[in-house]
Amino acid sequence: MKKIWVIIVNVLIMVGMLAFVFVYSDSEYRATAKRQVEHFETTTVSMGRVTENYLEGEQRICDVWSHYINDENMTMEQAAGFIRVSHVLKNASAHLIYVDDFTGLSTRPKSGTEDNFDVSYAHLNLLNDTSWIHEVGTHINISRSYTNPMNGVQSIAFCNFINLNDGGNARKAVLFRVLPISELMQKWVFPQEEFEKAELSIIDKNGDYIIKNESFKNSNFFEFYNSYADNPIDNELRKKVIADTGSFYMLNSQGRQCILAHTPFDTTGGLAILSLMETRYLNATTQNWLLIGIVSAGLLALFIFDVAVMLYFNKRLQITAKEAKSASKAKTDFLSTMSHDIRTPMNAIIGLTTLTEKNLKDEKLVRENLRKIALASNHLLTLINDILDISKVESGKLNLVPQNFSIVETVENLMNLSQPMIKEKNIDFSFHISRMEKEYLYADQLRINQIYINILSNAIKYTEANGRVTVDMKEEESQKEGCVRLTYRVADTGIGMTPEFMANMYQAFSRQTDSRVNTIQGTGLGLAITKQMVDLLGGTIDCQSESGKGTTFTVTLDLPVAEHQRAEMKLEAMDALIVDDDEVLLETAVDTMNSLGLKVEEARSGQEALGMIKHKQTDGKNYDIVIIDLKMPDMDGIETIRRIREEIKANIPILLISAYSWSDVEQEAKEVGVSGFLSKPLFPSTLYDKINEILGTENKSAEVESDYSDLKGLNILVTEDNDINWEIISALLETYGITTERAENGRIAVEKMQKAEKGSYALVFMDIQMPEMNGLDATRAIRALDDPWASNIPIIAMTADAFSENVTECLNAGMNGHIAKPIDIKLVLKEIRRIKEKSKT
Amino acid sequence: MKKRLRLTQCLFVASLLSSCGGGNPSGTDEEFKPSLDAQTQCFIKVDGDYSNFEALEAEFDRFKEYYPNVHLSYVKIDGSISDVLNGEEAPNIFFCHPKMIGNEQYASVVSHMEDLSNPALKMNLDCIRPNLLKRDSEGKVFMVPVFSRTYGTIINKDLFNKEGIKIPNNWNELVSVCESFVEKGYKSPMMGYTNYDLDSKKERTKVSNGFQNTVAYPLFVAELAKNPDALALANKLDPSAGQYMRGALQKIRDLIDNGCVSLEECDKLEDNYDKVLLRFLDGDIPMMVCNGDTVSGIKKREQKSDTFNPDKEAYAPFKYEFYPIPLTEQGGYFIDSPSVQFAVNKDCENLDMTNEFMRFLLRTKELDNLASLKGLICSTKTTPFAPIYDPFKKVYDPVYAPFNNVASDRRISPEVIGIKDELATQIRIASFYVGRGELTVDEAVAKYGQFK
Repeated sequence: MKKIWVIIVNVLIMVGMLAFVFVYSDSEYRATAKRQVEHFETTTVSMGRVTENYLEGEQRICDVWSHYINDENMTMEQAAGFIRVSHVLKNASAHLIYVDDFTGLSTRPKSGTEDNFDVSYAHLNLLNDTSWIHEVGTHINISRSYTNPMNGVQSIAFCNFINLNDGGNARKAVLFRVLPISELMQKWVFPQEEFEKAELSIIDKNGDYIIKNESFKNSNFFEFYNSYADNPIDNELRKKVIADTGSFYMLNSQGRQCILAHTPFDTTGGLAILSLMETRYLNATTQNWLLIGIVSAGLLALFIFDVAVMLYFNKRLQITAKEAKSASKAKTDFLSTMSHDIRTPMNAIIGLTTLTEKNLKDEKLVRENLRKIALASNHLLTLINDILDISKVESGKLNLVPQNFSIVETVENLMNLSQPMIKEKNIDFSFHISRMEKEYLYADQLRINQIYINILSNAIKYTEANGRVTVDMKEEESQKEGCVRLTYRVADTGIGMTPEFMANMYQAFSRQTDSRVNTIQGTGLGLAITKQMVDLLGGTIDCQSESGKGTTFTVTLDLPVAEHQRAEMKLEAMDALIVDDDEVLLETAVDTMNSLGLKVEEARSGQEALGMIKHKQTDGKNYDIVIIDLKMPDMDGIETIRRIREEIKANIPILLISAYSWSDVEQEAKEVGVSGFLSKPLFPSTLYDKINEILGTENKSAEVESDYSDLKGLNILVTEDNDINWEIISALLETYGITTERAENGRIAVEKMQKAEKGSYALVFMDIQMPEMNGLDATRAIRALDDPWASNIPIIAMTADAFSENVTECLNAGMNGHIAKPIDIKLVLKEIRRIKEKSKT
Repeated sequence: MKKRLRLTQCLFVASLLSSCGGGNPSGTDEEFKPSLDAQTQCFIKVDGDYSNFEALEAEFDRFKEYYPNVHLSYVKIDGSISDVLNGEEAPNIFFCHPKMIGNEQYASVVSHMEDLSNPALKMNLDCIRPNLLKRDSEGKVFMVPVFSRTYGTIINKDLFNKEGIKIPNNWNELVSVCESFVEKGYKSPMMGYTNYDLDSKKERTKVSNGFQNTVAYPLFVAELAKNPDALALANKLDPSAGQYMRGALQKIRDLIDNGCVSLEECDKLEDNYDKVLLRFLDGDIPMMVCNGDTVSGIKKREQKSDTFNPDKEAYAPFKYEFYPIPLTEQGGYFIDSPSVQFAVNKDCENLDMTNEFMRFLLRTKELDNLASLKGLICSTKTTPFAPIYDPFKKVYDPVYAPFNNVASDRRISPEVIGIKDELATQIRIASFYVGRGELTVDEAVAKYGQFK
């Protein structure tokens, strides 16, 4: 749906809701207003009743006086005297006026006099027409307001006809009981506070005010109405105002809408009470607009918020779509790359295999082809592993499997893996360690290996031939309890990276390209995986790089220290000489050797070492051990050893130390009399073990790793459903003198174990995914066997399920180890040896 | 004689155009600026003899915009203003008349009047036409006119158009027009109230101030304005001054005798206000003679007339205006005399606020508004013939506009030339009887000074 439609729909909904609220509010307002008006009417009626009662009360007094005066046949003077006696109200008075000449007496004297009681109504026009005065006791005979001629006060009067004795004749007169209007007005207010703005008036049947309040204009209510209405008041409404109770709206003199309530009283006399109030003082008015206002503001705010959110999400969606598009493109590119990268080693494997098949008799060619096939296979394996890892990382299923491991072994492994490339590219390589006190740590060794290997292999990969790669590893105190901080820094003089590339270098499928290294094979996943691993381990990774000059990666990890460390390593106090042109190595090596209890002297070249040894001999002494670096300028390590052996004839144990592979120099070194080999970096434990070994059993060390004769004669049960895999593993193991028996699936394996005699098998290799019974179930079944030997036999998973959770799953099922396919025979042998050693203990 | 008349008229015109010489220089006609505490709470009462003064009540509302807690009311008083002023509820402001000044009979009333020319009060007397402003011998101003009254005839313009007759500009044209209307079947082309004032029982009470006086008074005043000696005699009620009424009285007879006015038709009017207006609004009377006070009620009477009621069959509204009656060859007169005057009771409660209200009122804007709503000629200098307000159509109607065309030498102010009330009474009664045929012109002239 287009944005405009969303807005239109929103606006329509908003308008609809507003319309509903308006209609609802309006109906509520009308209902409230109606109630208010009814209440106003009711109050007016109440006021009418009160007023009527009051006026009736006043009229009754007048009636009583009239009856008495008539009954007693009083003269005017007698009547005035009688009323003076009866009168108690301070401001009230009575006038007795003859109807024929409008003169008479007042009960109170004229203002400013004490004895002038004469009063004239000649100018008042009240008695020209006396039809408004009814018989005594029948009506409220109330006059219009008029000016009391005795005191100038605006007044009303209650009247009755009376007959006065005038010289023996009855003379018709009117008795006026006169009350000041001001006094009445003060009392005559609405009792309810809510109607305090309302004002009252009394009108006669013609609409003329008897009493009027300020908001009533004109002298006649209907004229007042007409003055401000759009149309003159009609006769029907006129009659209603006088005769009925009700209300209607009208405009006041300020043009404001008012509610006018009317109710008749003294119906026979045609009087009505009116109450007038501006409608804005009815409570309903403001509430209505307040509600609409709040709802409108709320809806508007909601609308703005919705639009803002919609625009925000639209923007996000656009970004996401862009990213998805980019990711899709990246994956397409990746697949294209993968296709290329997979096909390349596959091409090598297939091609070389074909070539080998055709030249089986050319042993040298076969050997070379097989070496190349192995390289291509390893690359393919790395590629697949990386793809799997990044897949796991992206799906969030990568779990850590912590275990005790030796950092020394990790570094050794790192060195072993990187040596071929270092050698191939003739890289100037150095590896320095500093204060590596804790050898055993508790973490996911596999992931740490991946991190270190990825960074180092990248450094080597992206460094041109004869370039330089330096690795520094140091141990520091960690802020985390029980941990050490391991800082791994790899600096190279390679192609470096551009800032643009660095901005996205941790994203998958990105590879720096450079004309110098465009032949470099890589998945573009290494850094992405490394970053994810570092994050997973709670560490940091930092990169400093300059295009064309090189790159430095620094990984900092806080790793828990394993509970068990090696016992304190101390050697007998011996004189030792270390020879290296590398100042850093000298410094760290001296520290390490001192920490082992050795007395160390150092030489920075072979020549200097020769001199020092000779000088020592002249003193009748010899160094107990000499450690010499392989690669040194002028005179390398082998030449130095050769000359020591030739010129000094001393049988001093000499160790050759190097950061490079031994394979090329091993034979020559042995011929010149090397006692043993040490790999850089120089860990205390490595040095400790090697010195002990040299001093104890000479010339054995270099052989141990590649001598698997101790495994000869072992019989292993291999549970494998795949014929080729079975063939490979059995053939490989056979070359080391290890015999195998096959179980085609888990069920057969269990049966074989049930039937096997004790000691028939040294261990079991167990595939996982197999027909009939898988490896996990088979392991559980074997562990459940009654025979203690059978149920405790070591079982090693040998499976293509290489993820960490697969490993965990295998261990949980009761297995003792895990080897991932495709198998590395050396790892297999190492695992067999580990099991064998363990079974011995 | 002519020179004297012109001199007098020039003085009048000059006084019309000039500001009030001895007036208060402090008051201004600018926007009203309250000078008292806006929250002041008090009562102000205006007493007068208008039965209804809605226009003033509208001014109360406007004043309350500045002082919302001031309660103002208008009270129609019965009887003597003296009684009220000396009574227990004395007003703050009251209606008064110029004749009160210097008249012993009204000494107690005048004694309550505040000198509005006192500079300390900052009253803006300059906005009022000076000829309407009554000053005592010391130049003090005790009352201010809020309206002016004049004499004339309401003319049904549509009827003239319908009959193809031109509105007359002089005496001969007037007679001719009347003849034309009579020929077309109109029984009384001119009408007015010619009868006695009647009470509720339709019994004669006193001589009315109707048609006869409306015709005769302007002519008599104009005659006296020409002759100061005659004016002096007339003011003294010297019988010899009766001859100066002759021309005016004869005009009444001429109008009746020439068929311009039918007494029979006029006698059908039952009062000198409602009935006069409603009869005119019936639409078949070309000219209704009356004064400005009567005209003031015409807009409200439209509501009561079937001719102006769209719901009635007789609905046939028409245009009308108030004209000077062209009783001479030169046309008619504008007799500019004060109608209602306000005085401030200096002894009242809340005198400060009372003066504040007067300051508010005595500005061209408010006085024009007051006159427009009341339907009377305004007392201000700048806009004497301001349109009057029609409350139903919510529009202003220039009813008095024809008076703008009256030449300056035909604008006469009785107060300026010194006409006294007693003199006015003589011409009113004499003209009434002559018009009714109860006295001949000669008899009436001979009785000058004896009419009560």
